[in-house]
Amino acid sequence: MNQTRSLLTLNHLSVAYRTSRGAVQAVQDLDLSVPAGRSVGLVGESGSGKSTIAAAILRLLPENAAITGGSIAFNGVDLATLSDAELNRTWRWREIAMVFQKSLAALSPVNRIHDQLNDILRQHEPALREAERDARLSDLLRAVHLSDRVLHSYPFELSGGMMQRTMIALGLLCNPPFLILDEATTALDVITQAQILREVNRLKQEYNLTALIISHDVGVINATTDAVAVLYAGQLMEVAPKRRFFAAPAHPYSRALIASVPRLSGPRQRLAAIPGNLPDLLDPPPGCRFAPRCPYVTPRCSTAVPPLYDLGDGQFVRCVLFESRPIAHPAEETMA
Amino acid sequence: MGRYVGRQLLTIIPTILLSVVLNFALLHAAPGDPARIYAGFDTATNDQIAAVRHELGLDKPLPLQFALYVNQILHGNLGESFAYHRPVLPVIFERLPATLLLTITSAIIAVILGALLAAVAARRTFSKVDFGLSFASYTFYAMPSFWLGLILILVFASKLHWFPTSGMHDVRAGYTGYRNVLDVGKHLILPVLTLVLVQTPIYYRITRASVAEQQREDYITTFRATGMSEQRIFRRYALRNALLPTVTVFGLSLGYVITGSALVEIVFGWPGIGRLTLDAVFQRDYPLLLGIYLILAVTVSLAILLTDLVYAVLDPRIRLR
Repeated sequence: MNQTRSLLTLNHLSVAYRTSRGAVQAVQDLDLSVPAGRSVGLVGESGSGKSTIAAAILRLLPENAAITGGSIAFNGVDLATLSDAELNRTWRWREIAMVFQKSLAALSPVNRIHDQLNDILRQHEPALREAERDARLSDLLRAVHLSDRVLHSYPFELSGGMMQRTMIALGLLCNPPFLILDEATTALDVITQAQILREVNRLKQEYNLTALIISHDVGVINATTDAVAVLYAGQLMEVAPKRRFFAAPAHPYSRALIASVPRLSGPRQRLAAIPGNLPDLLDPPPGCRFAPRCPYVTPRCSTAVPPLYDLGDGQFVRCVLFESRPIAHPAEETMA
Repeated sequence: MGRYVGRQLLTIIPTILLSVVLNFALLHAAPGDPARIYAGFDTATNDQIAAVRHELGLDKPLPLQFALYVNQILHGNLGESFAYHRPVLPVIFERLPATLLLTITSAIIAVILGALLAAVAARRTFSKVDFGLSFASYTFYAMPSFWLGLILILVFASKLHWFPTSGMHDVRAGYTGYRNVLDVGKHLILPVLTLVLVQTPIYYRITRASVAEQQREDYITTFRATGMSEQRIFRRYALRNALLPTVTVFGLSLGYVITGSALVEIVFGWPGIGRLTLDAVFQRDYPLLLGIYLILAVTVSLAILLTDLVYAVLDPRIRLR
């Protein structure tokens, strides 16, 4: 994956929330790159900072949160330094679009779908005539296998699956090169989820999309991505090509994450839950944040945050168990 | 929609009948004897009182009085006022325009002003503007309308002489045409101001809470992500969603346009229904009171129906079948 140009590169990205009890380091010194034309999965449990990263990329962090360090390079431009007006004019939706997790509430309940999509399209394509815009909307709905009838409906009249397809169509509205899917299928039943995932894969090809797919569900990541990044309590623990990740996960947390997924085939075994909880980010453990729950913990785990070690073939892991391996230089890795 | 309106109109009928029964029962259960009042408190002999009671029809058994009254209503006759010796309906309708002018003007100003201020405050929650407006809204909400009215008269009429102290017309001038309109307008300002000041806080509080809540909705995040400006999101989407509770409260308040401003009417000597009602209470003018209450019941019912209809237009999730 190092051969292709990186479209999105997060360099040393840190995000903190101000709370009444102090600052919460939700994302700590994160390096991640998404090569053009690929899809990278960001996996981790609830509260690991996945959605914060998505919000940071589009600069949609809530008022009490801020990017405290690092950069968000998109096509060579640092989005972290741009103003809202610049982001609105050039970047949001035209270059980077997003499919949100709670799709049923993701559009205004009292306006028709057509009026809202049309309004958004008009912001970015003011030169298009009404009829051209309508044609674009119809095409998009057809692309996600919905009928035109949906356009004249209100959000509450659609099922969860239809609404999710609508939100995917909305994501494709301005033909963006980059799409973030934030838990886009989490609220759906498994059958609808499988259909939507198939469609996401087809649309990625069809629209030549680069994607960042955020999910707590290892199965979703397996079904839709080329590479996996594992996030734990705001720290990036492992990055690896998908096959390698599922065949030979290196980080103890990655192994626990994969082992915690129930399997239908193979010998029957107890589900391996990970003991303990996410650490309190107001007072995070020093060094590796997974150390308090790690079965292989050593005294050195708590002295400093371990660097990313290069295991070869695009696999990197942040764990002292691999200290015999060379230390990766994220800048080289991500900019390659 | 048509079927909904028809069915609602049908449910209004038992509501109104029930209110007639209750009003009738309460009035006759309340202390005070009209016959004594109209015969003259101190001087009347028992015979005279009995004669007046017979004349007013109050000597008949109560169930019979009620049956006769209902029969009257069904024939479109609300009876004759004890005090005015005239049919009740024209007495009420003479006073209606003055009251409606006062109450509807102030209700509309209050809802628009309240919603506008709320929109300003809610977009900067916990700013100085927000604190100032919230403080003012609590202050005026806590003020009794009659007291506020008296203070306004004291300051703007008695001291500054900017506005007349009371009434609806300058009786001595006897204006006609547009000068009459100006004259009424001048008399209207202080009572309307009083009602606006006490009513605006209600709309302000409701709309502010609602706008602040809408700002946290998921669809707002969607629109932000699509690159839509905050202003456009607010104008086109957040505001419309936020105004739904405000519309409900406004609609319900329309039910009280007829009698809700009685105290303010009295303070300002406004020749409206509010004053008529209080006078009728003190004079034990049963037919007039029952007539006013009947019209009140009808207005409240119609206001609720109208609110439902407007709400259905604004919120497609409400389907009227």
